[in-house]
Amino acid sequence: MIRLESVTKSYSSDVIAVRDASFEIAKGEFVFLVGPSGSGKSTLLRLMNRQEQPERGTVWVAGKDINDMPESKVPYLRRTIGNIFQDYKLLPNKTVFENVAFALEVIGRPRHVIRQQVPAVLELVGLADKEDRFPHQLSGGEQQRVSIARAFVNRPLILLADEPTGNLDPGTGEGIMRLLDRINSTGTTVVMATHDTRVVNMMRRRVVQLDRGVIVRDQERGVYD
Amino acid sequence: MLSRISYALRETAAGFRRNVTLTAAAIITSAVSLLLVGTTFLIQRAFDNLLTRWKGDVELIVYVRSDATPEQVQLIEGALKSQPSIIDVDRLRYLNQAESYAEAERLFAGDPGTLRLLTPENIPSQFKVVPIAEDSALVRELGEQFRQLAGVKEVAYAQDVFDVVSRVSHFIRVATTAMSIILLVVAVGLIWNTIRTAMFARRREIEVMKLVGATNWFIRIPFMLEGLVQGLVGGILSCLGLWGLNTAWTNAVSDFNDTELAALVVTDGYASWIMVLLLGIGALAGAIGSGIAASRFLDV
Repeated sequence: MIRLESVTKSYSSDVIAVRDASFEIAKGEFVFLVGPSGSGKSTLLRLMNRQEQPERGTVWVAGKDINDMPESKVPYLRRTIGNIFQDYKLLPNKTVFENVAFALEVIGRPRHVIRQQVPAVLELVGLADKEDRFPHQLSGGEQQRVSIARAFVNRPLILLADEPTGNLDPGTGEGIMRLLDRINSTGTTVVMATHDTRVVNMMRRRVVQLDRGVIVRDQERGVYD
Repeated sequence: MLSRISYALRETAAGFRRNVTLTAAAIITSAVSLLLVGTTFLIQRAFDNLLTRWKGDVELIVYVRSDATPEQVQLIEGALKSQPSIIDVDRLRYLNQAESYAEAERLFAGDPGTLRLLTPENIPSQFKVVPIAEDSALVRELGEQFRQLAGVKEVAYAQDVFDVVSRVSHFIRVATTAMSIILLVVAVGLIWNTIRTAMFARRREIEVMKLVGATNWFIRIPFMLEGLVQGLVGGILSCLGLWGLNTAWTNAVSDFNDTELAALVVTDGYASWIMVLLLGIGALAGAIGSGIAASRFLDV
């Protein structure tokens, strides 16, 4: 599903974010990218949906070299990838329903599809009764569920999550992990960058560890350390 | 498709509500600059009309000394009529001293100092000559011959006045064109800035749109429509202004119906054509300005 071949990305001549990274993620896998702040986890995620372009190496997503892709095709690549962030990136002036519907609206999905799919995905994340609330009326965990609903409403092949539990207390974070696990079990590939030791140890999934931009460990059913 | 159109229209309307003051500023600037562009065209056209009329009108005036004898006047008239290949004999007109004075009273209405020097007794009478010959050198040569005739005080060429008016008109053309270009650039800049501000205010939204796979055109079109409408509204205002100006000017000039000044007007057909042009320029400038502004925010 995702393959990186000797990928190097630097932000300036002396800051190398990712150095010669190669690994492959199979369809339906759940992978943790772990490591301290600044080790290159977020950059790896950004390379996977072409928010960043590598200096060297190739990134393959769903069989396509995404760095070789013309700019006009990038939106269609991104429709197959859902994104979840530490700060949720919800639009404060829209309701829960509107935030999720927005993702379908801006890719030109017709009204009747929106009316059918949004309630279904809100049901899945457990917010069926809160679709008219605004983000500031929700707890952090609920906001993250809205953001997951928005990322998943278009049924993407891949879900990229950047520190999704970073702003949440442990109990709430566990709930989010159970939700991501459930989404993963429907066949969606999940790649999650985190330095949350607890959730990694709880899940026992594949762990790719980074240190200053270099992959130092790649372990099936791993723990954080 | 329908949902996309309704999305674009809703977003455009929302853009105006969010940014009322900047939008108003952009519209007013574009209206003023377009008004100036339009005025430039109309002034040009009016001068062209005036010059065309003069060209087909009197080009040569033979002034006869006030003390010339009637025989001398007849001799001059005879000399003029003996050149039918160069001058239009049928349109040859003689203004005696009383008629010349009446004309002078009108021409120098704004110049009482000059008028005071003239009396119906000392004013020269004049032959107004319309040349047929296209070659102005030939006309000048003939004029020089007339100057030698007894009783002729002076021979004046309308060509000289024509040249002065041409030069004035050329100057006005350059000055107003330069001003309108500068103002047009300012207007595009303001529209650009309005859209940039609007996009900056919504950068989170745009970031989310890009991440969920909205195409650049999908994001850009509401902003471009917003700029286009700003330019178009500015264009409509400038058309109203231009119509008002042109009507007021035409009315004012119609009081001078018997002078050349009356030709300094623009016909309705040309004015409407210019208005269509202004609407087009406004809409295009608005769309382009905002399109550029939008593109700078889409490099994610």
